Amino acid sequence: MESRYTPLEAVLKIKELQPVLNAAVTIVDEPEANEAAGPLAGMPVVLKDNVSTKGIRTTASSKILDNYVPVYDATIVEKLKNAGAVVVAKSSMDELGMGGTNRNAATGPAHNPWKPDHITGGSSGGSAALMAAKTVPLAIGTDTGDSIRKPAAYCGVIGVKPTYGRISRYGIIPYASSLDTVGYFTNSIADAALALEILAGRDDHDMTSSFLPVEAYSEHLNASLQGKKIGVFRTVSDTIQDPVIKEAFENLVSQLKEAGADVEDVYMDETLMNLIAPVYKTIANAEATANHSNLDGLRFGVRVPGASVEEVMTNSRTAGFSSYVRARFVIGSYSLFEENQDRLFRKAQKIRRLIVDAYKELFKDHDVILAPAAVTTAPLIEQSSDVRFGEDHFEEEHMQLANFSGYPSLTMPLGLSDGLPFGINLSAEPFAEQMLFDTAAGMEAIIDWKEECPNV
Amino acid sequence: MEKFSTDYFRKLAGDLKFDLSDEEIEALKKDFIEVEKQVELFETIDTEGVEPMIYPFEEATFFLREDEPADVLDQKDALANAPDARMGHIHVPKVVK
Repeated sequence: MESRYTPLEAVLKIKELQPVLNAAVTIVDEPEANEAAGPLAGMPVVLKDNVSTKGIRTTASSKILDNYVPVYDATIVEKLKNAGAVVVAKSSMDELGMGGTNRNAATGPAHNPWKPDHITGGSSGGSAALMAAKTVPLAIGTDTGDSIRKPAAYCGVIGVKPTYGRISRYGIIPYASSLDTVGYFTNSIADAALALEILAGRDDHDMTSSFLPVEAYSEHLNASLQGKKIGVFRTVSDTIQDPVIKEAFENLVSQLKEAGADVEDVYMDETLMNLIAPVYKTIANAEATANHSNLDGLRFGVRVPGASVEEVMTNSRTAGFSSYVRARFVIGSYSLFEENQDRLFRKAQKIRRLIVDAYKELFKDHDVILAPAAVTTAPLIEQSSDVRFGEDHFEEEHMQLANFSGYPSLTMPLGLSDGLPFGINLSAEPFAEQMLFDTAAGMEAIIDWKEECPNV
Repeated sequence: MEKFSTDYFRKLAGDLKFDLSDEEIEALKKDFIEVEKQVELFETIDTEGVEPMIYPFEEATFFLREDEPADVLDQKDALANAPDARMGHIHVPKVVK
């Protein structure tokens, strides 16, 4: 892994870009010196603002945490520091992770470095933008329902959501516990393989973290596509309308065959595909409502005065959460009412199993599944919206399959359409990150992405 | 109280310890038309005999540890983020009056 900048230079660069990108919530003016001689020695890193950093403000882009300064580091922060990295900024996100545009951040929307009037995608949009601007070689994100992979596609960088439980979530401000996964952005697959070695591993502080050993992914990286069994997710790719994206995707499929891969079309039942978004929203909103009940202005966070404890909580939560987040809490709470649990929350959990069972079938005869990451490029900020509960299109939400199933999944850039990046999405079986990186490295060589952001 | 009325949402918000403006309640009324459609969609799916999927993997990654103190925050750290701390305690408005 190589960095274009020293930590101090990265700080200056992020500051310089802030008026254009608005991608940072906190910029560390004087980055802490780190003498550790690890694989990231002296390299600047950016963390999404839901990662707890001792002594550095951590807001999760919510007003209620505007003054919150953690007294401990998340496990991944310790790991990064042990590897020699230096934290230079905390990046903007949709408030508490809820959203896919990065418009819903307390500090306002982050802007896409390729075209600043377009969204970065979210919720890890700030990290994606700072990665695309090449300010750092590694930026941390979290992915509950494509929150790393969609911004990666929109910003033209690599975004990795490893297997659920592969990286500790201790010290991460949660969104939805059965879906939340820590991941990251890099500029190459080799860097992505190295980053997982640094970040992954069992942590007794996170009881969902896996005991499986962490592999030497970067050392074993093998970019040969010969004999790789690749399923092309036609249910999704058939919906591409943009002729540039369609042509690039089909060209890649042809080139994979030429490179010796065993390529086959795969499909999933559209009835189940159309249930992805409703099931996701039901589960995620319900889990979020429960997770964020501790944000009340009493023990930490911004307190708004009141005559009683109840009034303090009500005033703090009213002022501290955006209208959008409060609406999601109402919807989430409704699905947890005793009279609604069976028909909403439990039903969604059962349908989740049916969806995952169908998804698993795709991997029966395939090492990886290939799909377009998004079927469009990043929309204009003013034209994008986070629909709370409305009409959905499965081609926009299909990457949530990897959150439902816990399977590892990454996106990487494929091309540009009208000056904005678009990408592909690759997924593999649980803990088969080596296979995922190997196949991605083979595709990286074919795609040969060399585009640079014009605005940075 | 009529379901999905203004009072209904006001009570729901009250239970969640926040307020909603009239405009926010009107927006939620529209959202809940969609939520109910979602329920209807869910009802078309046969889940007889299907177990709810609570977490992605069912292999146990948790265990009971010995009941010994670990990772203890000292009082200073524990109170560092409290909006109002006095004499080693988090201070809130009087509860018993």
